[in-house]
Amino acid sequence: MKILAALLLAVAAPLYSHVGSPDVFYEGSAGPYRLLVTVRPPQVIPGVAEVEIRSVGPGVEKVRVAPLRLTAAAQFSPVPDEMRRSKDDPQFFSGTVWLMSTGSWKVLVQAEGKPGKGEIAVPVPALSTRVMGMQTSLAAILIPLCLVLVLGLAAIASASAREAELEPGQMPDARRIRRSRIVMAVVLAGTCGVLVLGNSWWSAEAGDYSRIVYKPLQLKAAVQDGNHLLLTLDDPGWLNRRVDDLLPDHGHLMHLFIVNLPRMDQVWHLHPERGREPETFAQTLPTMAAGQYALFADVVHANGIAETATTRIELSTIDGAKLEGDDAASGPPIIPKGGYNPDVAELPGGYRMLWERSAVRIRARQPYEFRFRLVDAQGADAKDVELYMGMQGHAAFVKDDGSVFAHVHPSGSVAAATLALTTPLTTPDDPHAMHNMAHGGLPAQVTFPYGLPQPGIYRIFVQMKRGGEIMTGMFNASVEN
Amino acid sequence: MTGTHWDISWHRSIGRDTFWTPAHVDIYLCGILAGLACGYLILSTTWDRDSPLRKSSVALWGFRGPLGAFISAWGGIAMLTSAPFDDWWHSAYGLDVRIISPPHMILASGIMAVHLGALILILGQMNRADGDQRTRLLRLYLYVGGMILVCLTVLQMELIYRTSMHTMRTYRLVAMVVPLVFAAIARGSGYRWAATWVAGVYTVFVLLMSWILPLFPAEPKLGPVLHPLHQFTPPEFPLLLIVPALVLDLMWQRTARWGLWKQATISGFVFLAVFAAVQWPFASFLMSPAARNRFFGAIFFGYYADPNSLYMRYLFRPVESGALFWKELAWAIVAAIATTRLGFTAGNWMRRVRR
Repeated sequence: MKILAALLLAVAAPLYSHVGSPDVFYEGSAGPYRLLVTVRPPQVIPGVAEVEIRSVGPGVEKVRVAPLRLTAAAQFSPVPDEMRRSKDDPQFFSGTVWLMSTGSWKVLVQAEGKPGKGEIAVPVPALSTRVMGMQTSLAAILIPLCLVLVLGLAAIASASAREAELEPGQMPDARRIRRSRIVMAVVLAGTCGVLVLGNSWWSAEAGDYSRIVYKPLQLKAAVQDGNHLLLTLDDPGWLNRRVDDLLPDHGHLMHLFIVNLPRMDQVWHLHPERGREPETFAQTLPTMAAGQYALFADVVHANGIAETATTRIELSTIDGAKLEGDDAASGPPIIPKGGYNPDVAELPGGYRMLWERSAVRIRARQPYEFRFRLVDAQGADAKDVELYMGMQGHAAFVKDDGSVFAHVHPSGSVAAATLALTTPLTTPDDPHAMHNMAHGGLPAQVTFPYGLPQPGIYRIFVQMKRGGEIMTGMFNASVEN
Repeated sequence: MTGTHWDISWHRSIGRDTFWTPAHVDIYLCGILAGLACGYLILSTTWDRDSPLRKSSVALWGFRGPLGAFISAWGGIAMLTSAPFDDWWHSAYGLDVRIISPPHMILASGIMAVHLGALILILGQMNRADGDQRTRLLRLYLYVGGMILVCLTVLQMELIYRTSMHTMRTYRLVAMVVPLVFAAIARGSGYRWAATWVAGVYTVFVLLMSWILPLFPAEPKLGPVLHPLHQFTPPEFPLLLIVPALVLDLMWQRTARWGLWKQATISGFVFLAVFAAVQWPFASFLMSPAARNRFFGAIFFGYYADPNSLYMRYLFRPVESGALFWKELAWAIVAAIATTRLGFTAGNWMRRVRR
C-alpha cells in the first residue's frame, strides 16, 4: 500500500545557500523607506513562502508583495498582494507568495506611505528540500476510507447483479445470487488491479518529485606538497546544475571559510583559485596548527542559486605562506587583560570589536540586526575603516555542532552575485557603505540583518578592514526557542 | 460541474487558490449533498419498514435503498476522501495545478459516481413509470446524461485544446469517451433523440460557462504573467458533438434490428467521420479572426499563455505524419467502435434496471 510506504519516507534537512539556514534576510531601501525583509521559502516547490517585513522607520502605510522569476522583468509580475499590517506593531507586515517552480525567484516589495512609493526585489531560492511521508493520523483516516471504497464498490456491483433488475418485491433466485458473487469477485479483482496501477502512477509521480529534490554539491578536500589545499566540487546530479557556470562573488568564484574543530575559536576566510578543471579549486594554506577543520565553500551559479559545499579535513601542522589579497585569518584568540566580556573581542594593535546587542535574548528564526563597532585602544571609533571586498563587513554564523553556517553581509544573507542579477530594482547590497560615510572614511559600525535558524550556541565571526588590515572579531550567541 | 469548470478557470485566471475557494466549496458541497440525500434515502428505507421504496430497493451490508442511492453515496465518500488526500499531495509534492493527478482522479471518480448514481436512481423509477411521470423522469435522465458527458470531457480538456484539433490524437481521445455516453444513454432510455439531447445539454452547459465566467473580474496572482487579463478565463467553445449525435440518433432509429456489433461498427465509423467532418473545419474557424470575440471565446487565454506559443498565435500543431497518423486513425476507429459497443451493453442493462 502506497500510504504505508509513504509513512516510511525520510525527511531531509534543508541545505542550500548557507548550511541549515534556509530563510532569507535582507535589508534595503525601497524609495524613502528602509525595510528589513524576511522570506521563509517553502520546503516543497511549488509552495507558499512566508514574507515578513519590518519598516526600520515610520511612514510606511501599505506594503505589497509579488513573486517573479529572478531575471524576469517587472512587466511579467502578477498583481501584488497587500500584506497584513500588525495591529500591535504598525511597522510590521506579513504575507505570503507562491513560488511555482524550482530555481531563483525574487519577491517584489512595494512600499507606500505619505513620503512616497518605493520598490525593492529580494532574491529567494525556490528549492524542494523535503521528502514528506504521510502522517500516521492522516493514514489512519485514509486507509479505512480506501477500504470502504474498495469493498463498497464490490458490494454495490454485487447488489446490482443480484437485485437491480428485479421487479419490486421480487426475491433473487439462486442463479442471481451466484452471479452476484461472481460479479463481486470480478469487481474486487478489477479494483485491486486499478489500485496496483494507481500505486505505480503514485510511485512514478514520487520518482519525478524526488528528481527535483535539492541535492547539495559535495566538497572533497586534500592537501598536497605541504600546504596546497585542493578542493573538488562533486555534483551528485541535480536537475541541470553545472559547476562551470559559477559567478564571481565580490570578485571571487569561491569563498572558503575554514573553522578549527572542536574549539571553533579561529577562522580563515580564503579565496581558492579555479584549477584546470572547472570543478577543481586550489588554495595555498597559511600556517595552521595540526587538527581537524570544518570547510564551508560558498559559490554562486549563473542562475543566482548560491550553494555552500562542506566537508571536514584532518591537517598536520602546516608551515604555510603569508596571507595575501582578500584572504584573512582571525589568529588565536587574545586573552583580555581585564575581566572577560562576551560582547567584546580583543584584536591586534589594541583594537577591539564591540557587539552592540539590540536584544537581550535571541530567539530562533527571528530577524535581528547584529551590530558591531570597531574601536581603537582608546575606545574611539576606528578612523581608517575601509571596504572589505566591496562590503563594510562580512560575518559568518556557525553553530557549535557545524550544522548551521551562514555567510552574511550588511545587506543580509543573499549573496552579492545573486543580488546583482536582480538589478535594477535592488539597491546596492551594502546599504551602509555609502550613505553613512563619516568624515574621511567609513563608519566604524556595521550591521548584519540575520536570524539564527535553530536554538543552540553559535560562533559569530565578524570581519572588518581598517588601515589595510582585516580584523576578525569572534563572539558567542546563545539562541533560544 | 459548475464548480469544476469554475475551479479550472480560477487556475487559468488567478493561478493560486486555497482549499476554501468558492469553486472548491461548490465541488465538495455537491459531494456532501449527494452523500446526505442518499444517506437519508438509504437510512429511511432501511429503518422504515413501510417505506414505499423498500420493495424497490437493494440490500447492501444490512442497509436497504435504491441502487442509485448507494452509488451516489459511494461517490460522496470518494469525493470527501480525495480532499485530505489532495491536501497531503500538495504538501508532499507541491501545489500542482494539473487536472490529472491521483487525488484528482479519486475526486473525478467520486463526481462520476454521483452522476451515475443519480442516473440509476432516475432510471429505476423511470423504468417503472409511464405517462407524464416517465416523460418528466426522461428529461431528468437526459440532463444527467449530458452532465456525465461534461464531466468526462473536462478530464480531456487539457489534452484537446483547439491547437491540437488538427491532429488525429484529438479524435482518438474523443472517440474513447463520447460514443460510450451517447450509446449508453440512448440505449438505456429507448428515446429517439437521446444522443442529441445529451449533446445539447453538454453544449448549452459549456456555452453558458464560456459566456458567464468572463463576466466576472479576475487578476493573476502568480507569475510570470505572460498574458495580462482582468476576467475569468472561460473554457473553449464546446466541441460540435451535437452533429454526430444527431446523425447517430437518425441512424439508430433505422438500424434498431441490426446486431449490436454491426450497429456498433457502423456507428463508430459514422461518429468519427461526422465529428471530424465538422470539428476539423470548425477548428480552422476558431483560429480565424472571426472567432476572436466573446461569443466564440477565442480571445481568452490563461495568464501563463506564452505570446510565442502556437496557441496564442492561433496556429495548429502539425498533423501526425506518416505511420503515426494512420496508427492514431486506426486506434480512433477501434475506440469509437469499442466504446459504442460497450455503451450498448451498458444501455441494455440500464433499460432493465428496476430498483
